[in-house]
Order: sequence, then structure tokens, then C-alpha cells
Amino acid sequence: MAQRDPQFNQHVLVDTTPMPDHIPKVEEIGATSAPLMSAAYFIGDRCKAYNDDFMKCKDEANGRGEIECLKEGRKVTRCAASVIKDINTHCLQQFTAHWECLENNNHYLFECRRAEMALNNCIFDKLGLKKTIPDSPPNQVPVHLRPRQKFAQFPGPQW
Amino acid sequence: MPQDMPPSGGYAPVQYKRHIPARGFRPWTYLAGVGAIVTYGMYKYFHGARELRELSREKMWARLHLAPVMQAEEDRDQVRRYLADKERAKELLGSEGKVYNSDRFIRPTFAYTPSNVTR
Repeated sequence: MAQRDPQFNQHVLVDTTPMPDHIPKVEEIGATSAPLMSAAYFIGDRCKAYNDDFMKCKDEANGRGEIECLKEGRKVTRCAASVIKDINTHCLQQFTAHWECLENNNHYLFECRRAEMALNNCIFDKLGLKKTIPDSPPNQVPVHLRPRQKFAQFPGPQW
Repeated sequence: MPQDMPPSGGYAPVQYKRHIPARGFRPWTYLAGVGAIVTYGMYKYFHGARELRELSREKMWARLHLAPVMQAEEDRDQVRRYLADKERAKELLGSEGKVYNSDRFIRPTFAYTPSNVTR
């Protein structure tokens, strides 16, 4: 990661040359960190195939993944955008509550279990997407379903 | 000359033991008490550490699910700049040349600065 970043992000000095026409356009996802964090597991649930495909393509492209995996990359972005769009149409209230809670709590998921529970239930009912944490120990309750969160500011029952 | 001899009936016993009452509890009580406190602490620590591990797993997987999205966006931006650079070089030099002797995609160290300030 010791690369020098050549981007000029200081408001001015942005290379605004658009993408050439022969590369299909795709709208960027355009969500900030907290909504993305909130929607991460649902993006992962619906878009796993696209994500894996993209990462595999980059892995096998022998260092030319940036150019050769544009198609897979567009699929990834479209899929993630579709998840965000669906959440916005069906569960906007719970989604906003959760990501604003994350925004106010240093993105600590364990501080926002109540909002997360409401969001997860709504999304499971409306969209059928489920939050599962891979590789979590099978003999324990998954951490996002535990009513008590030891590290939260209020460690008692969250809902 | 008569020699010094013990008194008849022998010496009185010398009191070398101190009969001070022992303070506090018996030693093993302290050991057991400290042991109980440490055990309780270790129990709480174990459960805390276990939950912390699961929380970090949750966070890691959230980021793993987002990594391809972020990477795709960044790659698209890099390719857009790369193609713009190539186009510009072609316009200025009249020919397409390679900057690096490599087939890999290399993030440029130097970036093009637009002559007129964009906003």
C-alpha cells in the first residue's frame, strides 16, 4: 500500500475526461460508508456470485484486472446498486434509522442492534435477503442475534 | 573454690515462644479468595473475548462483502484516467507508446494536471 496516490481530490484539478464511448456506462453506487456498512450483508447475500466472479477475474488477470475485468466490475456495481435501491423502496425507514445510528456510533454494529433487528426483519420479509455471518461457531448464537451486547454502552437487553 | 553450678532443681524454662494472637484469617482463606476473584475475572474475560472475536468477524465480513464494490469503482476510475492519458499522449506525440515495459496495469506515479482548473 505504499503507492503514491496520483488522484487530485482537492476540489480542483480533477481529470474530468469521460470514459470512452465503447465502454458501457454504469452509474456508480454513490452511497456513503454508513449506508454501505448497513447494507453490506445484504449486498453480500444477493451479489455473492458477481462479487466472487469479479475477484476471481482480477486474481486470474495477471495484473491486468483493472482493464480486463471492467465487465465483471459493472455487474458488481449494478447488483449492489439494485440491493440499495430495493432497500430504499421497501425498508427506507428502518434503513435510515440503522445507518444514522451507525453514523452516530463510530460504525459500531453492536451499538445499533435494535435498529438492525428491525431492518433485518423488514428486509427478510420484503426482499428475502438474510444476514448470516460466515464461519461463525455453530454452537453459539450469532452475535447479531444476541439480545445482550457486552460492549455496547447499554449492555442490557437491546430490544 | 566452689564451682558455679545450676541451681538446685535446674534452671527455670526460658520463654522463647511469643504468644501474640494471630491476626486475620487463615492463610489458605486468602489464597482461596484471590483464586476466586481471579477465576471470576478470567470467566468474564473469556466471554468478553469470545464476543469480541465474533464482533470482529462480523465487521470483517461486512468489509469483505463491500470490497468488490469499492474495487470495481476504483478500477473504473483508474481505467478512465489511463485511457484519457493514452488518448492525450497520442494527441501530443502522434504515436502510441508504452510508458512502462510491462503488460500489467500500473497506477501512474505522475498525474496529468489540467491546464485550466476544473471544478
